Amino acid sequence: MLLVPRQLRRSGMTGSVPYYGGRFTPAQAWAASHPSGPPARPRPDSRDTEEALRHLRESGVLTAEEYDELRARARR
Amino acid sequence: MTGPVQVVVVGFERPAFSGEVMAELDRLGQAGTVRLLDVLLLARADDGTFETLPMPTSPSPGLGILAAEILGGADPSAEDASEPPDGSGWSLADAIPAGGTAAVALIEHLWAAPLRDAIQRSGGTALEETWLAREDVERLTGLMEQRET
Repeated sequence: MLLVPRQLRRSGMTGSVPYYGGRFTPAQAWAASHPSGPPARPRPDSRDTEEALRHLRESGVLTAEEYDELRARARR
Repeated sequence: MTGPVQVVVVGFERPAFSGEVMAELDRLGQAGTVRLLDVLLLARADDGTFETLPMPTSPSPGLGILAAEILGGADPSAEDASEPPDGSGWSLADAIPAGGTAAVALIEHLWAAPLRDAIQRSGGTALEETWLAREDVERLTGLMEQRET
């Protein structure tokens, strides 16, 4: 009969912690080499956002109220 | 099921089953030390695929079914579907080389159940768990003999 191996989770005898044979898991290795955590996503430049909103307002996609509300949100 | 269950994968260049290993497992089972839950014989082809083999001296026609269910399946599309996201997974494909033959045993360590429970009750966590290499065992034996004299 053909058998397709299944991925199993390693376990130590106590079963309470994953067992990695004393080696770092990929997640632990990453955390050890990046102590400050993953880099934050850069915030979009508010000037670009305002320019895009102005374009939408001038082309009639946004009303004046919508434009004011979205511009206020972008400045927060 | 009370004790921790170990998976033991033993490779053979040429499968030769004298019954000696099974006899020893029987003896340990009667002593309440371990319990052989199931054993499966596998061949891995050169293209990496696995095929179960009949046990040459099996007294039980159902031998290997449990191990095959736990360690694998028959659906190729399900391969690697449940890999743990933290990279802690393993499979028989990591253990058995292409072109190899192996016996895979599921062994329940009955002796370890009280110890495991005691460790858990005391809040201990297992940080490492391995076997000493033969040379280190020999060194240890020498140290013990020195202490006895």
